[in-house]
Amino acid sequence: MIIVEGLTKRFGNTVAINDLHFSVQPGRVTGFLGPNGSGKSTTLRCMVDLDHPQSGNVTFSGKQYRQIEDPIRTVGVLLDASYVHPGRSARHHLEWLALSNHLDRRRVDEVLALVGLTDVAHRRVKTFSLGMKQRLGLAATMLGDPEVVILDEPANGLDPEGIRWMRDMLQYLAGQGRAVLVSSHQLSEMALMAEELVVIGRGQLIAHESAADFIARHTTTRIRVRSPQIDVIVRAVRERGGDASILSVVADTDGALVTGMSMIDVGELAHGNGAVVHELSEVTDSLEDAFLAVTRDDQEYRSGSSS
Amino acid sequence: MKAIIASEWLKARTVRSHWVLIIIAMMFPLIISTLVGILNPDPQYVSYREVVSIVASSGAFSLLLLSSLWVINLTSEFTHGTIRVTYAAVPARWKVIVSKAVIGTLVTAVVMTVLFWLNLGLGAALLNSRGAYIIVDGWFDHSFKVFVALVTFAIIVSWFGLGLGVLIKNSPVAIVVVLLWPLIIENLIALALALSGYESAWKWMPYQTAFQGIEGASGFDSALSRPWGHLYFAAFVIVVGSIAVVADRRRDA
Repeated sequence: MIIVEGLTKRFGNTVAINDLHFSVQPGRVTGFLGPNGSGKSTTLRCMVDLDHPQSGNVTFSGKQYRQIEDPIRTVGVLLDASYVHPGRSARHHLEWLALSNHLDRRRVDEVLALVGLTDVAHRRVKTFSLGMKQRLGLAATMLGDPEVVILDEPANGLDPEGIRWMRDMLQYLAGQGRAVLVSSHQLSEMALMAEELVVIGRGQLIAHESAADFIARHTTTRIRVRSPQIDVIVRAVRERGGDASILSVVADTDGALVTGMSMIDVGELAHGNGAVVHELSEVTDSLEDAFLAVTRDDQEYRSGSSS
Repeated sequence: MKAIIASEWLKARTVRSHWVLIIIAMMFPLIISTLVGILNPDPQYVSYREVVSIVASSGAFSLLLLSSLWVINLTSEFTHGTIRVTYAAVPARWKVIVSKAVIGTLVTAVVMTVLFWLNLGLGAALLNSRGAYIIVDGWFDHSFKVFVALVTFAIIVSWFGLGLGVLIKNSPVAIVVVLLWPLIIENLIALALALSGYESAWKWMPYQTAFQGIEGASGFDSALSRPWGHLYFAAFVIVVGSIAVVADRRRDA
């Protein structure tokens, strides 16, 4: 279990992280989200003692990182897949890491097989694609069979098969009882992978809750209804009063989006008014919608209007 | 600590540029010895001390290359970001630097030993084949003292390169400083001090004092004799290294 307490990191006058608190539970994948420049990578570096925070504390099962003997046996960390000497082979990269933490060299073969790089283990890393480097990075992370796994943008550069492989792998690792913390910009992937979310903006905690709660709390669920008698349904919804409202008429055919009513209510209303229904479905916003809604004021760099 | 040294040894020997630098460092004195042995117009007048002096002088070039190797060994970790992987695996950063210094010491000692005796033997053999009469002296003679002094000096210079690498982090800048330190920087410091009234300051420049002491008394008006000159330079380098270790521990990786 990872506990982050009151972490604050400044670079000169710039506050990168401000009094950050969160925890990462074992047995699940926790997504670490935030806009560019929000302090995610700095947080991860502070967690493993690479950057020195001005205040705060990070513990792994009660121990600070620097207090852990042979730390890669406890915490596996992948900050950037390109942090490999390009002239060194994949096997040698893993071997020096293994030696530094008293790990058996046979473990190198195991993790190479785990990530599917056995056949290219002797090749220099400069000949690797970004996807292969990501796999090598994950191999290095898993070298010590750690109980905590921390990954910064692990799906960067992976093809669709690789992304699915990474997702399955991380869920598998969490399923083994490990605490898995993953920073990623690929929100669709995060939605499929993460059970828990930590969202930060401008170095401060914005949300720390389950992914389902986060999406439910920050998005609106709408009911899409299509019918040849859409006017009847629209009138009935409006007559029901309350907070039910028609948002817009669906462009292609007679339809509408309803908010403030359940799908069952809309279906029964249509039936009660003798309207034929061609489609009745829930439209739920994505994690991306929720993320953009929550971090709207915390985007450091924002695209200009296209109009 | 043994595990970290083994890890650093594996890192050092699995980078091709390190081997290239070692080969160049070995080749240069070999070429010089060969040329002297073949082209010297009066081989019968060449003394054993002169051959030792040539080997020591060409070895000084090699040790500068070796010190560049240890600069690169460290600064390339910053260049490629592997220093973060290293420090995440070994949070006690001083252990990494000390391990690199141990590897640097051993490799430098082996390379300089091979280089010295190979070149001495080659030079003497070539000159003898052309009519010279150069006797290889006994165990504790002049040649062995020069050999010990040269290897010791090379090891201290390798530590110096490592210390500057930790402090500066940037490969080209650190290499330039290592190469210019004996050629320009110490002389400029001595000149500045001389202009300020400390005219004997150049006697106390650590690199030059130790370097001039390699061959013992040679007319150089050093403040310190051979072993003390080396100890003085070593103390200076240890101070530089200690500053580097403290600075490295305090800053973000």
